[in-house]
Amino acid sequence: MKSKRPLPVLWILVIVGLAVLPFVTPGTYVIGVMCFVAFYATLACGMAVLLEQAGLFSLAAPTFFGLGAYVAGILAAREILPPWAGIIVAAVVVAAIAYVIGAPLLRLRGYYLACATFGLLFIVEIALAQSGEITGGHDGLIGIPPLSVFGFTLRGDLHYYFVSWGFCLGCLWFFFNLMSSRVGRAVRALHDSEIAASTVSINVARCKLHVFVLTAVMASVAGSLYCFYLQFTTPSMFGFPLLVELFTMIVIGGATTLYGPVLGAVVLIWLREAIHVYLKGILPKLTAEVDAVFFGVLIVAILIFMPEGLAGGLDRLAHFGRRLLGKSA
Amino acid sequence: MTLLSETVQYAISGITAGSIYAVIGICWSAVYLITKVLNFTTGEFVMLGGMLTWAFHSMGFGLLPSVLFAVTCTIAISMLLERLVIRPIRFPTEMTYMMLTIASASVIKGLVLLQWGSESRRIEPFFGTAVIHVLGAGVTPQVLCVVAMMALITLGLHLFLNHTLFGTALRASAINQTGAKLVGIDIGRFRLFCFGLAGGLGAVTGIVTAPITFTGYEIGLLTGLKGLVAAIAGGWSMTGTVAAALALGLLEGFGAGFVSSGLKDVFALLVMILFLILQTISLPGMRRR
Repeated sequence: MKSKRPLPVLWILVIVGLAVLPFVTPGTYVIGVMCFVAFYATLACGMAVLLEQAGLFSLAAPTFFGLGAYVAGILAAREILPPWAGIIVAAVVVAAIAYVIGAPLLRLRGYYLACATFGLLFIVEIALAQSGEITGGHDGLIGIPPLSVFGFTLRGDLHYYFVSWGFCLGCLWFFFNLMSSRVGRAVRALHDSEIAASTVSINVARCKLHVFVLTAVMASVAGSLYCFYLQFTTPSMFGFPLLVELFTMIVIGGATTLYGPVLGAVVLIWLREAIHVYLKGILPKLTAEVDAVFFGVLIVAILIFMPEGLAGGLDRLAHFGRRLLGKSA
Repeated sequence: MTLLSETVQYAISGITAGSIYAVIGICWSAVYLITKVLNFTTGEFVMLGGMLTWAFHSMGFGLLPSVLFAVTCTIAISMLLERLVIRPIRFPTEMTYMMLTIASASVIKGLVLLQWGSESRRIEPFFGTAVIHVLGAGVTPQVLCVVAMMALITLGLHLFLNHTLFGTALRASAINQTGAKLVGIDIGRFRLFCFGLAGGLGAVTGIVTAPITFTGYEIGLLTGLKGLVAAIAGGWSMTGTVAAALALGLLEGFGAGFVSSGLKDVFALLVMILFLILQTISLPGMRRR
């Protein structure tokens, strides 16, 4: 289990690189795609913390993402609350839902927790599609205004690029700090053995619930930002295909490190763009289900040939390099 | 329609659905008990059975040969899945197994979508379209065929598991793998067999239901999940699964009839979550496990 803090140099490099990116790439295409990367990276990161660090096999991330998007979207589209307040209300509502659902569900282990949250994914998707008057049903929720904070309205991909990446890196930084704190060590102890954790007076149930609610809130905020970015949501955006994509990101990046899923998100979204650009002529309809074929093959191949993912490979490379340098010096 | 005939009609559709879930539930538990893999491709085998039969049939083969081809193909795919995807994994955990089978399911689904498109497909009913009237409700021969298939499969499996050497060995390896290995049972072959069995049974289910509910690339996931609900609620045993599946089917039939047909799928999933939660609660006086 590695949660060493990466060098501050690395952080600065990444932040500078991301900040410069919009000004060196022509047009808004790259920026638009990178916005998606940021949203998905945040979501994958939270899910990976649950799966790998805490050992909670929860598949509820797309559900909370969708709920966050829908609550904020509905409040803003019906002009009940301004968008920024909608994000906060959505986060509070999702936190409450996660708390109420999590308390009984997190007693389940392994497969059973996965099955229950998998069921939840479908229940929420069907319920959103069926309650047409409130959510717009299958056709989706339209008329969501752009995000505006204190008179400043975010317009265009560039604004959302900075907001989404700011949020994503903020979450990542938070997780890095959390995981090396007392709470984080307790969470990692859960992954290894719950019984052992409880003997050193870690309140297992409360600890699990807190991590669960925390990642749910992050997913919710990411979802709210996502809906203001697209100004449109449909129930099918938060269903099974999203789950497969998240799995792919986590598997590509490697879940043992915190930054792995972010890496996975970058690779996956650009891969999807490449598929859409280059295979448009060959394949007639490129829906999320068709993308899932490529991602499915990728998951299987990586789990068989490279089970630690990209981040695991990079870590090994860094370790190798350090040893090489240390010997020569 | 009177209330009585309506009720009978819902009960009939419930029992039909229940029979389907029972067989699918048996597919889940056959694989789970021997390999500890929760095989999310089970639902896709159901879909493959129906779609392959339709495809062979529309290529000009007769109904019986296309059914045989479809079942053989699905069994082969299922066994290949075990050999090429499940077995080579280096660090098998519940999480990797689940990711693998979910990934395989989405690959199968996507390929079927690419090959045969997103339209619903229909196979002609096997024994005509005559309707038998019972208490004012209509029963088609196809419905009887589904229920009969379920009864035959469960009876056959029961005899196989309890009265043959192979079946007894299979039960032994489900109970204790190490013990089974010690008395010379080849677990590797049984894993392959169980995947084949699940593929075959799934395909047969998909074929007999295709004339009633139609088939299409997207039906696999939810149908499969309901089989899982039955298997979990039935405690992974065959009698339990069949009982749970019939109860689930009836609940769904009445729920769709009297409450809302749009929310039909939600009932089953809610039952699963409630059931899972109830299992974790130990009331005073309950001394199980």
